[in-house]
Amino acid sequence: MTNVTRPYYLPVGNEERVFKAAFHQGLSVLLKGPTGCGKTRFVEAMAFDLQRPLITVACHDDLTTADLVGRFLLHGGETKWVDGPLTRAVREGAICYLDEIVEARQDTTVVLHPLADHRRQLPIDRFGITLEAERGFCLVVSYNPGYQSVLKDLKDSTRQRMVAIELDFPPGDVEEKIIVHEAGADHQTAAQLVALGHAIRRLETAGLREVASTRVLVAAARLVAEGLSMRAAARAAVAGPLTDDPLVTRGLFEMIDAYLSEDSADGTD
Amino acid sequence: MSPTSRRYADGLGHLQLLASAIAGRSLEVAAVEESKPAWTDGVTVFVDADVDPTRRLASLVVQSSLIGAGSLDPTILTELLRRPALCLRYLTVEAQRALSELEPLLPLSVRGLVDHDLADRSRSPADSLAIAASRENLAEPREEFGTIRPRLVQSPTTRNEDGDPAQGYVPRGKGPRQLHELDREDDVVGPVGELLSSPVGGGGGIGRLLRRLFGERRSSGGGHPGADSPTHWSLRATRGSGLIAVSTVAAPVPEGSWFGRRGFRYPEWDSHKRRYKPHWCTVEEVEPEPSLLQSFAVPDTLRLRRALERLGTDLERHRRQLQGDDVDVDATVESFVELKAGSAPDEAVYIDTLRRRRDLAVLVLLDVSGSAGEPSATGVAVHEHQRAAAAALVSALYELGDRVALYGFRSQGRAAVRLLRVKRFRDDLDQHTIQRLGGFVPGAYTRLGAAIRHAVAILEKDSGTSRRLLAVISDGLAYDHGYEPLYGEADSRRALAEARRRGIGSLCLSVGARTDVGALRRVFGTAAHASIPNTDVLPGIVGPLFRSALGSAELQRKVTQNYERTKGRRGTERGTA
Repeated sequence: MTNVTRPYYLPVGNEERVFKAAFHQGLSVLLKGPTGCGKTRFVEAMAFDLQRPLITVACHDDLTTADLVGRFLLHGGETKWVDGPLTRAVREGAICYLDEIVEARQDTTVVLHPLADHRRQLPIDRFGITLEAERGFCLVVSYNPGYQSVLKDLKDSTRQRMVAIELDFPPGDVEEKIIVHEAGADHQTAAQLVALGHAIRRLETAGLREVASTRVLVAAARLVAEGLSMRAAARAAVAGPLTDDPLVTRGLFEMIDAYLSEDSADGTD
Repeated sequence: MSPTSRRYADGLGHLQLLASAIAGRSLEVAAVEESKPAWTDGVTVFVDADVDPTRRLASLVVQSSLIGAGSLDPTILTELLRRPALCLRYLTVEAQRALSELEPLLPLSVRGLVDHDLADRSRSPADSLAIAASRENLAEPREEFGTIRPRLVQSPTTRNEDGDPAQGYVPRGKGPRQLHELDREDDVVGPVGELLSSPVGGGGGIGRLLRRLFGERRSSGGGHPGADSPTHWSLRATRGSGLIAVSTVAAPVPEGSWFGRRGFRYPEWDSHKRRYKPHWCTVEEVEPEPSLLQSFAVPDTLRLRRALERLGTDLERHRRQLQGDDVDVDATVESFVELKAGSAPDEAVYIDTLRRRRDLAVLVLLDVSGSAGEPSATGVAVHEHQRAAAAALVSALYELGDRVALYGFRSQGRAAVRLLRVKRFRDDLDQHTIQRLGGFVPGAYTRLGAAIRHAVAILEKDSGTSRRLLAVISDGLAYDHGYEPLYGEADSRRALAEARRRGIGSLCLSVGARTDVGALRRVFGTAAHASIPNTDVLPGIVGPLFRSALGSAELQRKVTQNYERTKGRRGTERGTA
């Protein structure tokens, strides 16, 4: 195990119990939720609790089957097989976490099918062999249903092989605790940032691609911890990443000014 | 709207996001008339622009909360009509209830306004109304809470009922604010409510009569008040609403003078004499006037993007890559040979499967001639359908990473064909683009051929891609001075053929229009024209439509290339012989 302490994750519902039950039954898990709501952190915490290594693959639209399974490489005069992350997880019995699975091409995700259902096998056609997954192997994929820039949906045949856990932004009091813990901020700062975040999440403006996630609020709080004023921190960590549109940016600045107090202690605003 | 109030309104626009966040739906923010209390009509929150920001924020938050907490429910508002005292008492209680309901969302600085003792007594707007109607002693609401004007509140569901044919008055696009408010008032409350207001000003009986007079004599779409704008009446059996006023002058055209500017000259095909009329049409590119900017909701484009994303992209196996799924045997053998021969081998010895970029540019040409202002089968102006389709197409393609431009077009004779610039290829798509599009007021005529020729020129000059597409969104066929339907049909067909020869595909969409689409089919071809009732159907048809248009352009381009290559070869053969 690389982690000595448990990654900080506060459960909101029964997601931890569902995950562990699925793990012990050898089922694959599909995590749904908006970006920055804590999907990755949740998997890290689960891997720690279950004492399994975690192999994370960030999926992108050029991810091929070979990227996951492995490929031959030329080394001097010979070809040499190199395991991909998925094969490694199958051999070692690790938790394999495919982040943002919809980003991957659909012809790539079908390689997961025999692994995700009762067979728990990974066929490697280059060798003509089939690997049986070690005990402790668990496939976890994450998926953001409302992701604006993604046009692909997950194939039904892939989805049906999974147990789905829906995550969402935590409720206000939990989010406040998270910000306090992650950024070392005081409760007052955290409460104001949470109010701002919740307000931004209610917006349905075309100019916003995503809403303010727990992650950006934590980032803002961390900037505050470094001595930036709250408004300056929120402008940099919340407004900036959310939009490039000058009109929307101005509106967000106005919201930041309304929600966050002006702490003139350092005058960095 | 007076120039002063418009200036304030511009200064308050940036508060829009804050108000929308609290209300949970899109709101506008504008300045209230001099020293009046803040209020909202359900679409716009009116606050005093001149008071200090803390107070203004309080007013804005209270009014937005009223919307967000459902306090302005029509059933409640009918109770409040004609009872100003009750109205104030209701505000005292309900504002507290609304604020406490939304308290986690409010800025900390205004949470101090919440009076929990009062708020806890009411669980719903109806409760608040009951408390307000009781004989209990209630304090007046704080001044910054503003007021409720039940007559003027517009519920979101009634917003789309503009242009109801039964009223005999057809709004021709978005007009000045005064006219708008009258429409709204008329929509929501009946004559009973109107009797209350001043008989001379906007909403009263006389005002209504005046409005009727003005509304039908002059298009609400534009023109300066008092300017002479002759109109004529036309009867069209095919349209829904009987009498329709079509302006013959450029009154609703906002972008300035028709004359005295230099533009681009294009020929026109004379189908009678079977030859081109050289330098016949003058096309001008103009910026839409900034004062008419208006935003509107862009339809959701997710399904549309899904329909368009696979267009012209395929997986292909690329040999001799630096990395890849498989070893490229030929390249490997060669590199070994080179190694043995003592030279540096090429390391690109893999085969990779890559998605080909589609390299597509689309120019959307939106018909904003007068006919688009007429109502469609559903009562909403054809223009609004078309505008929504244009916005959806442009944002979908933009988000897919294609090069896309959007122009409106209309004409007033051959010397004044106008292309209204909404988004050039190099512009970003932002709120400004949408506002420019939202400000369009239909007017004048359609000289399709010249518009197509200019659009093609823009595509050739600015697109910079190998696949190019012209998408025309129009409700019917070309008609202009000296451009009767059959002649126009022939000219437009000719213009499209010229485009295809240059490898530019074309397609045409009619949204919500009930005109004879046969003519458009003859011009664009049946495979590249579709007529749909509204934008919801767009994702279903747009894929095949784009594909066939791209296909025909591709074919034509290959034919032309082959022809030129053969011609070139013949030339060299002759040269060597």
